[in-house]
Amino acid sequence: MTTGKKAFYSEVDFILRIAGEGGEGVISCGELFAQAAARTEYHVFTFLTYPAEMRGGFAMVQVRVRDWTIYSLGSRLDCLVVFNQPALDRTVRELKTTGTLVYDPEAVQLPAELEASALPLPLSRLSKEVTGGTLGKNIVALGALGYLVEMEQEVLEGLVRDRFGAKGGEVVERNLAALRAGYAYAAENSWPRILLMADLKPKGPQYMLLSGNEAIALGAIVAGCRFAASYPITPATTIFETLTRLFPLVEGRALQMEDEIAAVSAAIGASFAGEKAMVSTSGPGLQLMTEQLNLASMIEVPLVVADVQRGGPSTGLPTKTEQSDLNLAIYGVSGESPRIVLAPTSVDDSFYQTIRAFNLAERYQLPVIMLTDQSIGLRKATVRMPDLSHIIQLDSHVARTKVKIPRPEFINLIDRAEPTAKDLEDYRRFRTTADGVSPIARPGTPGGQYLATGLEHTESGHPDYTPENHLQMSRKRFRKMEVIARSFDTNPIEIWGRPDAQIGILGWGSTAGAIREARYLAEERGIHVRHMHPHTLSPMPHRQISNFLVRLEHLIIVEENYTGQFAHHIKAHFGAKAIELHKCEGIPITPEEILKGIEKVAGIIDEYSIARL
Amino acid sequence: MSTALHDYRRKQIRPVWCAGCGNYGVLRGVEKALKRLEVPPEQTVVISGIGCSGRFSHYLNTYALHGTHGRALPIATGVKTSRPDLTVLVVGGDGDSLGIGGGHLPHAARKNVDLTFLILDNNTYGLTKGQSSPTTPWGCVTKTSPYGSPEDSLEVLPILLAYDVSFVARTSSLQIEEMARIITEAMRHPGFAVVHILSPCVTYPVLAWKALRERLAPLPDNHSLVDKATALQLAYTSEPIYTGVFYSILKPTLDARLRQLHESALKRYSSRGKEPTIPSLMERFL
Repeated sequence: MTTGKKAFYSEVDFILRIAGEGGEGVISCGELFAQAAARTEYHVFTFLTYPAEMRGGFAMVQVRVRDWTIYSLGSRLDCLVVFNQPALDRTVRELKTTGTLVYDPEAVQLPAELEASALPLPLSRLSKEVTGGTLGKNIVALGALGYLVEMEQEVLEGLVRDRFGAKGGEVVERNLAALRAGYAYAAENSWPRILLMADLKPKGPQYMLLSGNEAIALGAIVAGCRFAASYPITPATTIFETLTRLFPLVEGRALQMEDEIAAVSAAIGASFAGEKAMVSTSGPGLQLMTEQLNLASMIEVPLVVADVQRGGPSTGLPTKTEQSDLNLAIYGVSGESPRIVLAPTSVDDSFYQTIRAFNLAERYQLPVIMLTDQSIGLRKATVRMPDLSHIIQLDSHVARTKVKIPRPEFINLIDRAEPTAKDLEDYRRFRTTADGVSPIARPGTPGGQYLATGLEHTESGHPDYTPENHLQMSRKRFRKMEVIARSFDTNPIEIWGRPDAQIGILGWGSTAGAIREARYLAEERGIHVRHMHPHTLSPMPHRQISNFLVRLEHLIIVEENYTGQFAHHIKAHFGAKAIELHKCEGIPITPEEILKGIEKVAGIIDEYSIARL
Repeated sequence: MSTALHDYRRKQIRPVWCAGCGNYGVLRGVEKALKRLEVPPEQTVVISGIGCSGRFSHYLNTYALHGTHGRALPIATGVKTSRPDLTVLVVGGDGDSLGIGGGHLPHAARKNVDLTFLILDNNTYGLTKGQSSPTTPWGCVTKTSPYGSPEDSLEVLPILLAYDVSFVARTSSLQIEEMARIITEAMRHPGFAVVHILSPCVTYPVLAWKALRERLAPLPDNHSLVDKATALQLAYTSEPIYTGVFYSILKPTLDARLRQLHESALKRYSSRGKEPTIPSLMERFL
């Protein structure tokens, strides 16, 4: 085992899925399990899918526990817990033949050909016996699972107390009874232990268990955001919910508005007033917000927009994942409006890219759109707690230095440039500068009064439609984009895999982990692959992508949509030929699916054929 | 240090309004109100949408945001929520406030956000040269209703009263003194204050100066500011068209509500022995 590969080969890699019907508590069972696992030395990664309705429909949660960094939700299951027949029928084929199935014998008929070992657990009966109803089924399951992975009962009881404490003693006692019933049932029936999670010492640095959406909310707070406006939309709502819960504690303010247009308007107003402001939404909401995004570009106010993408078009698949808002994010407005588009790759990355988004927005005074998706937004993963004593607040006039990508041990925060006393002598808000950025006066500053108008305007902000002025101001606005693109040269982006590999994979956003694992799987089969995953999709890190492309024989572009939006973008910018690997099923692409693509391409190389797949 | 009346005017930009436009009168009225209240220009933010009224924010020497059509209210809500120390004035036309932006009015009223909102109503889309607007009377001939408008016009004041806007007034640009007084009162009012200003367009006179002058009358002296039922009755009266303050009640502003909620959240948090610091917020997720 070489150190370089250690991140992939691990001793413990356990994948659990709990499946049932919406309203049965499947998700909270999985979340509690994940939380318990996160308190050990293991890394945790969850993925969940639930129906758009409050009750009924298929719901499942998948938890992966590993002794090393986890990049994806994994492929086949080690353990499957099913609450009912449809859940079994839908998921049993994904269980390893060596895996373990836990099922309610009163609700589920086992398939005749099942190879995995099956453990009956009468969820409804046990729940009724100890709680008087079936609502405790999920906690019974949690108890039995705890036994199965040799988790200490006290650890689980502590979690149940934390979770239900606010609902009063009676609720806590009922749930504890259910938990103990499940644990005892497994013990009495001499269940095997399939994983050892007891007595594991806690990790060195502290780890939070966050969903991608929570990571964005916390990142925003760390970045100094103190205003958020939003309109509820699945699967983005938990960003705003987290902010409404935490903002009062840091003197921030969150407003739920009457629609997305109002939400983005309020955020523009707050930013104009001098606050760091954000909105959070999903595709259909971003579509409404585009009305105001070009106002933000035109009057040059910093603004951060988090778009947690879901399946489209129209109402589409509100609770499923897709990467299909890229075109909207980059191009979707009237006129030409510079904005930055970022794509976090994981829960952890959502936290740091959010800080970066605020830094970029403040530094360059334009909207920054962050594209995550349902699969990152709603899954939970362990995120290393940053060392906040190392935060460096950059003075607005020093902020002209490059904006570095924040890391746990190094976080820079940047505030917008404000005019100096000298600037105010003859204040021109939209003064043409070398990098296109001109100081913003904060309302309340005497002598800084200016007009911010969506009309084309002069350096002073006065309306002006003359040809020379429109050209000059368009140049000013787009100069910022050129400066940003150039700044990437000193901000190296990560490329993985052997430099001499003939096959390259380019992806964006949440597919990073699956591609990474596919690369390892390919290497096991002797196929070398290089993988590049830019965080910034607009403006493009041109030089780095060109350098990456120029050494390749074959390029595969992976994305979760139907038409290949990122591939179009790459082809348009670099004239590159690419084999496109799309998945448009509302669920994340798996390492195996990508591996299949890699193997096909490798086969083509063998045959010296250059035909498209 | 007091500011002279002319210091409220941004002199570098010349108004684009037609000679005789009612908006000049409103601009004068606002300057007088700001002067009376002694709000420094740098503490004032004027926010407007699109249309002739949208240009309003250009001509005052304050911080000003001339945004998109219909969105002045939510933008102003964001400004005032994040910076309660600023005086925020919002200006919209009848199309801006009741057509494209009509959906924002009830929500600004529900929040009772401390803004002064002037609706400059000329019963037409003037900047785009005379199309019918939400307040164009039924049967009226305009560019987009060449055979007469097929729709009823909105009754502005009853709508504001139904939304429970906490300060509702009407005036016209024919009465600059009364208007300055009403705008001053509206700006002094803690909460969402709306002033409906009849401001005729001279070029597309759907609302004509002369006819308007004859129909205006001040509200009865004995009208109670908290009597909503009577206010509604007077608001629905079209002969005469009453001007003055119809309704004015005190209820907590958005700022006060948020302050109170946040204080109680902080108290709950610190009662559990926790400091409201960012690391302690993060520890909640361990």
